[in-house]
Amino acid sequence: MSRLRITEYLDIDLDNERWCCNRCGQDIYDARDNYKKGCLIAERDMAEVHPPMVDGAAYSFTPDSDYCRLLEFYCPNCGTMLENEYLPPGHPITHEIELDIDALKVKQGQNAEQGA
Amino acid sequence: MAYERDHEVVQRLRPEPMTEKEAAAQTVIDDTEFEIFKHKMHMIALEGKETTMKLGASTAMRWGDVAFGIFTAQGDLSICATGIYHHAVLGQLPLKYVVKHWVNEPSVGCRDGDSFFYNDPFYGGVHNADMGLSIPVFHEGQLLCFVGAAVHTGESGGSEPGGTVTAARSKYDEGLLCPPIKIGENYQLKEDLLNMFAAMNRDPRTMILDIKARLAAARIAQRRILEVVEEKGVDFFLGALRRVLTLTGEAAKKKISQLPDGIYRQPRFLDTLGEDNGLVKIDVKVIKKGDRITLDLNNSSPMLVDRPANSYFQGIIGLSMVYLCGWLFHDLPSNNGLLECMDWDFPEDSLVNAKGDVATSIAPLVQVCFTHGMFQCGARMTYSVDPSRSVASWFCGFSIPMFAGINQHGDPVADITPEINATGCGGRYDMDGVNAAGAFFATMADCSDAEATEEDRPVMYTFRNFYNNSYGHGKQRGGAGVGYGISVHDTNQLMLGSHGGGSKFPTTQGLFGGYGLPALFVKMVKKGNYKQLMAESNQNLPHSLDQVYSPDNPEQGEEQYNNISLVVQPAQDGDTLYAYSGGGAGYGDALERDPQSIQRDLEDNLVTHWAAKNIYHLVYDEESLRVDFEATEQARKAVREQRKTSGKTYDEFVGEWEKQHPPEKVLAYYGQYPNPEVSEQQVQPLAVNG
Repeated sequence: MSRLRITEYLDIDLDNERWCCNRCGQDIYDARDNYKKGCLIAERDMAEVHPPMVDGAAYSFTPDSDYCRLLEFYCPNCGTMLENEYLPPGHPITHEIELDIDALKVKQGQNAEQGA
Repeated sequence: MAYERDHEVVQRLRPEPMTEKEAAAQTVIDDTEFEIFKHKMHMIALEGKETTMKLGASTAMRWGDVAFGIFTAQGDLSICATGIYHHAVLGQLPLKYVVKHWVNEPSVGCRDGDSFFYNDPFYGGVHNADMGLSIPVFHEGQLLCFVGAAVHTGESGGSEPGGTVTAARSKYDEGLLCPPIKIGENYQLKEDLLNMFAAMNRDPRTMILDIKARLAAARIAQRRILEVVEEKGVDFFLGALRRVLTLTGEAAKKKISQLPDGIYRQPRFLDTLGEDNGLVKIDVKVIKKGDRITLDLNNSSPMLVDRPANSYFQGIIGLSMVYLCGWLFHDLPSNNGLLECMDWDFPEDSLVNAKGDVATSIAPLVQVCFTHGMFQCGARMTYSVDPSRSVASWFCGFSIPMFAGINQHGDPVADITPEINATGCGGRYDMDGVNAAGAFFATMADCSDAEATEEDRPVMYTFRNFYNNSYGHGKQRGGAGVGYGISVHDTNQLMLGSHGGGSKFPTTQGLFGGYGLPALFVKMVKKGNYKQLMAESNQNLPHSLDQVYSPDNPEQGEEQYNNISLVVQPAQDGDTLYAYSGGGAGYGDALERDPQSIQRDLEDNLVTHWAAKNIYHLVYDEESLRVDFEATEQARKAVREQRKTSGKTYDEFVGEWEKQHPPEKVLAYYGQYPNPEVSEQQVQPLAVNG
């Protein structure tokens, strides 16, 4: 059934039921599970992405680290940032796409039969 | 009459069962005639919307925060002209209330020439600044349909001005909360009732003009509809109006069936409780199976019993359709037939399912916080079928100055300024977001000319233009929002504040590796020298928001850096306020952004030099802006390698990450962290009806 593109950076290899990097083809993780389990993950210093631009003020352009942190998820092979998340400290990482792989296979089979 | 809110009628969001007359008419409606009818009805509604805007007085009404609809005799909203799509799936509730309670009530009734008014958000779903007026349309004594307009009137008589009560503790702080009532008979508005509305409002002139604008537009639509009925006959009209709803529901289900089955999740976090900060969660889960979508919001935070960050469930449903109408059902009619494809499961007594007397006056902030989850889930759900529908989010917060007092002409005034209608679009796979495009929930609205706002509002714009630190970076960047400064002008009797969220936790995050927005806040300078510098024609006064934060800014005074959610406070002639409406979220890894696009943004001052170097890793000459493409590629390659070095495996990272926890003071209203499960013990509403 070959590969199906699911997001900007993620393909699914339906035959092998694996998430893959769209940019380099790297195998990432089980397609029935959270692809982030196959990523490299880093927490960024928020000020490196959203600098305050105001010195010493009660409020600035930088989010409050008591409330919000920034996590980045990288392809382990090519280093592309596949996704990021703004989360409160310690909040579980989101399983954001849980596809019904069996239904997807049926739909792809139907599309192939119809020449789509 | 139970004299309490009607919890039964608000459950009837989907179309009522087809009547026998409507069903009988289906067999005689010709397809071509139906298409002509549909177009004609839409043109009538569009004329109603435009007329309402031209005749209205409030900022939001004049600049397009308007929905004009044609409803069936049962109250379903069949035809709707609006960019405020939540009204297209919520506007039917007040009419169903009228049909249920007043049509056969001898002391009220429903006759030719009547008009009904309403603004209780329990029926409108959003907030009490959204006020509606509808009229019945009769033909030879038979009720055929209703027509009416729902519009944001920017003042509703609460304990704070501008239609939003940031410090509300219960609904009794929120001002006018009017269930549907009759305010006109025999083609005349009842002056005693208008006088009552005026007495309950800081800006009576605007309140009354807005009511009359809605009525005038509705009367024009009534005439147009009766012309169609005379030509096509009653049976055709009733059947065709109903068919629009039926076909819409069928088309919506067909569209949904094309998307991949699965579960899409996006936990959402709001940092604003009202006048103070705290973290609450809306756990958005979209379950797509076959031709249906289920919104599952279980594990959201409990209802806030003494803060206004609550929403009625119907408001959340409405905002889900704002996303779906704009980005998935863009080619379908906007009406409550769309809800045939949707189910919902909201926890009782949660902040997304408010009950009783709790305050809901910042419900729109809760609702747009939720909608951001719809953008994220929707993008992941649609990419494999049609990437053009898979967009990074538009700005999903608020940044709205609110004011009340005496204007420069000596008249009472209470309203908001319109920059919330100038936020940026999110990036998408093939283009940057559009700059200052509008508001995602009001795509047909406009932010007005500065001069038009200055004409009768006691403020003077010091500048208003694209702001290059308002959006999310990415392969395709978000569209820029608008930075602006306003100076209090020719009055010392003004209260000035701000409504919004995202000063601690940004409301809008990026997509597919794109970044979200920075934090929002509001700077104020009191008792300063702004007007003096203006009088001296000082050339160094800021012309954009980045210059406000420059060391060269000559403005001096009592500087305040405030939360974007700020209760109104006294302001005087010459005091200034600076803020920005958010831009769109970024799409994709910033390291993939085309260097020439960054160069163009530098030329247009749409990206800062800081971001060009530190986010995009562009190597260029700062003076000539000439790009070194090869050095840029090398710099980006080095960043990718550094990511692989610094990144940790999932198990390694999560082991350390999940040991962290926000401070307890931040979680005072959150519920159990990280997954709040609402139980009856956690929430004790002040009073619950039904």
